[in-house]
Amino acid sequence: MEAISDFVFDYISVRTFWRALLFLHFVMAVALLALVTLQTVAVLMPARQAAGNFITRVRATPAASYVTPIVFLYVPTFLLGAWVYLKYRTYVRIPMEQFGHWWTVGTFEFKEHIVTMGIALLPAYWYFWRQPLSEEHAAIRKWLAVFLAISVWYAFLVGHVANDFRGVGS
Amino acid sequence: MTQALDIHQDVSRLNRAQATDASAPAAISRSGVFAITFGITFMVLYTVFEQLNWPLFTYHPAVGKLDFWMQRARSGEGPPMYWFGWLALSGIGAVAVSSVATLLPRAWLYRLTVFCCVLAALWPALLAAAAFIADRVSFDAEFLKSVWLTGAVALAGAAAVSFYGSAQWVQRLWVKWLWLVPVGGLAVLGYSLKSYFLR
Repeated sequence: MEAISDFVFDYISVRTFWRALLFLHFVMAVALLALVTLQTVAVLMPARQAAGNFITRVRATPAASYVTPIVFLYVPTFLLGAWVYLKYRTYVRIPMEQFGHWWTVGTFEFKEHIVTMGIALLPAYWYFWRQPLSEEHAAIRKWLAVFLAISVWYAFLVGHVANDFRGVGS
Repeated sequence: MTQALDIHQDVSRLNRAQATDASAPAAISRSGVFAITFGITFMVLYTVFEQLNWPLFTYHPAVGKLDFWMQRARSGEGPPMYWFGWLALSGIGAVAVSSVATLLPRAWLYRLTVFCCVLAALWPALLAAAAFIADRVSFDAEFLKSVWLTGAVALAGAAAVSFYGSAQWVQRLWVKWLWLVPVGGLAVLGYSLKSYFLR
């Protein structure tokens, strides 16, 4: 990682490098957010026919079709977030504590835990959503999809608040 | 007539087969056992390691230094980061446990999972309850706060639950740990962050 950043720093400033990483993390998180939300809608409010308005068509999409993109997006988003987290610890969290933004620090600490639980559940999520879907495991399949959606939504919102404190465009 | 009877017999056989399939639990492959055990173990270990602050290594981002195990902040080296160390230790532990789990007979696996999860929940719960009681009673009850005493009681409780639970119950519970553990783990981890929200 250090070798990559040293090479890049020959061409762009340190500040621009970290901001670019943070922005990439944000873009991936938005895509992931869209996927987990669409899957949750399809899981919790399934519709048999695709006819009708946009919402009905989203509800009728097979929830299993979102699984592979979610898994392949969750892992790099997590890893990129872990990399950006290094900068957060020194560049963002210390001033946050100095200004007494304890709620933001606390909610961000919880983000660490919830995304970790999400990545731990990813192999089981993938397993239960494999075809053919077993009727017996419908409940756990639904739970795993909803939990991943909650973890991504929580991480996105809290990450956004932290970014507003000191990040891209703040 | 003979053909009609044959068709009727075939349909009956098919219906019986479908009914059997519906009532029998869906078989979980070895990869499934690995995935499910990995999820449960990782979440339990992560919660335990975070609470005990047992990282495999400590990273000091300000100076780019890595130390084995847990190192407190040192002067001039900025804040230490433990999260990566908890992740690494939980990941290694979960891979090891899940690999062993694929080799175990299923009946053992279901009971061992109940044992470990109940122990992980019961031990800190008993410790918290013991501390609560010891601080409120009029006599000297400091012995209640002993990690070993509460550990022995938790061990006995976990053994009793996993031993006396019916085979069907431990089997049905196995997959459900995938939602019980993250909910419990996040409750514990969230509670430990209360100092941030009560300042």
